[in-house]
Amino acid sequence: MFRFDPYSPANDADPFDAYKTLRDEYPAFWCEEAGMWVYSRYDDIIAALNDWQTYSSAKGNLVDELPNRAGATLGTTDPPRHDRLRALIQKAMTKRALDVIVEPTRGMCKKHLDALDGRKSFDFVAEYSSKVTVDLLFDLFAMPESGRQTVRDNAVLMVQTDPVTRQKGPEHIGAYEWMAKYANELIAERKKAPGEDLLSNFITAEIDGESLADREIQMTVTTLIMAGVESLSGFLSMMAYNLAEQHDARRALVADPSLIPDAIEESLRFNTSAQRFRRCLTRDVENHGQIMKEGDFIMLVYGSGNRDERRFANPDVFDIARKPRGHLGFGGGVHACLGGALARVATKIAFEEFLGRYPEFERVGETTKWVPSSNFRSPMKLDLAAA
Amino acid sequence: MPKVTYIEHDGRRFEVDLPEGWSLMQGALLNGVTGIEGECGGSCGCATCHLYVDEAFVDRLPEIAEAEDEMLDCTVAQREANSRLGCQIKMTPDLDGLVVRLPEEQS
Ligand code: HEM
Repeated sequence: MFRFDPYSPANDADPFDAYKTLRDEYPAFWCEEAGMWVYSRYDDIIAALNDWQTYSSAKGNLVDELPNRAGATLGTTDPPRHDRLRALIQKAMTKRALDVIVEPTRGMCKKHLDALDGRKSFDFVAEYSSKVTVDLLFDLFAMPESGRQTVRDNAVLMVQTDPVTRQKGPEHIGAYEWMAKYANELIAERKKAPGEDLLSNFITAEIDGESLADREIQMTVTTLIMAGVESLSGFLSMMAYNLAEQHDARRALVADPSLIPDAIEESLRFNTSAQRFRRCLTRDVENHGQIMKEGDFIMLVYGSGNRDERRFANPDVFDIARKPRGHLGFGGGVHACLGGALARVATKIAFEEFLGRYPEFERVGETTKWVPSSNFRSPMKLDLAAA
Repeated sequence: MPKVTYIEHDGRRFEVDLPEGWSLMQGALLNGVTGIEGECGGSCGCATCHLYVDEAFVDRLPEIAEAEDEMLDCTVAQREANSRLGCQIKMTPDLDGLVVRLPEEQS
């Protein structure tokens, strides 16, 4: 019998064959391991994203939700509360508002490339993607200088799941609690002395004359740090992974860096780091002959919708000329990624600089160790060697 | 399925069958209409799915909410009385035959 186990290391390494079986044979699949339904076809995922009234985020959007988060963050509330919260941050995250980070980001990239000092081999994750990401997020949120590495380590740990127990383990919950405490201290400081930064604006904001609930502020700040740090460095690493494999694509980008945005979109389609999220049914739904009950969870497999041959021709080919409009790499609908514009600018700059220094590189070693996670997919470590 | 016609700035017309509940932004992206970008993915966060709605349909659309109103002030092309964001208009049977025109530029 076919099984789909989003906790297994084999799935972390390569979920795409299982996705195809899901799409072709079980478009509405009951996954015992996760205890929820699975949507894998592009059209079903879009239909769910368009209908937040039925497919609610208020019971959490992580496949394995963290305690206390449901109902208190952008990703875990429904409209209208969600829209009001999002409006408080949205404007700071548009492409135009982010123009100010372009030059600082370039400087951060150069600094970390200088530190590599022309070395022939290095771990892209530890020495580049996570360093650049943490610098950028600390700058954007005006976070204190100290503790960068600890914040990063905890952000990466809190999104993981245990492959054996198939849930979050004590170390993951511990990392989350550490982050929530860190967020609380940050919030207390900002309340005393608010600045012009995005977090200060959010912390001091009011909706209809009422300030936000403490739990809302704490969980949102915690999530912004987690989403920012883990998602961006995870995606930068996926992009490097792809370019290490796809020599023609990489050479095309080196010859013409204006193609980098196209390669970013194709990477978001081909193997986004944000593979799976969940929703909860607010009423009974029948789809593909299955009757799903109010209160049941549904996993939306963005990584599979992006490979759906019903939508994208030759989906398993990485093609930077594809321009995959409408891909699900950032989800979609009211909950589409808040950090999309930020991630796009940061990735563009990170690779303009990286490819300038390292036009030729490949992966070292046969196997890659993947982050164990029911939600996300990116390498723990990516050893590259310059040619 | 209800139909919508997109008219690109250069005059090209696209007649698209759009499932109920799908947005005008999605209909454009998935059917080769190039005059819409939809950069933010449909969260009313970027003003790159700006379109002009045929006068005959303007009154049949849902009202402009505050978030859309704010974003409509950020469009690159001139905002007009019939300006809307494609991601905020979901297809319904009542909108069958809708015609929208796309601006020259979105970003
Ligand atoms: C390339 C990197 C990134 C990827 C692939 C990514 C992916 C995603 C996806 C797929 C969702 C939808 C979740 C759902 O459907 O429930 C999402 C939501 C979100 N992301 Fe990202 N993300 C990235 C970077 C970032 C960054 C840098 C930030 C913050 C600084 C961020 C903040 C958020 C927030 C706050 C939400 C919730 C939005 C809402 O529900 O309204 N993301 N992201």
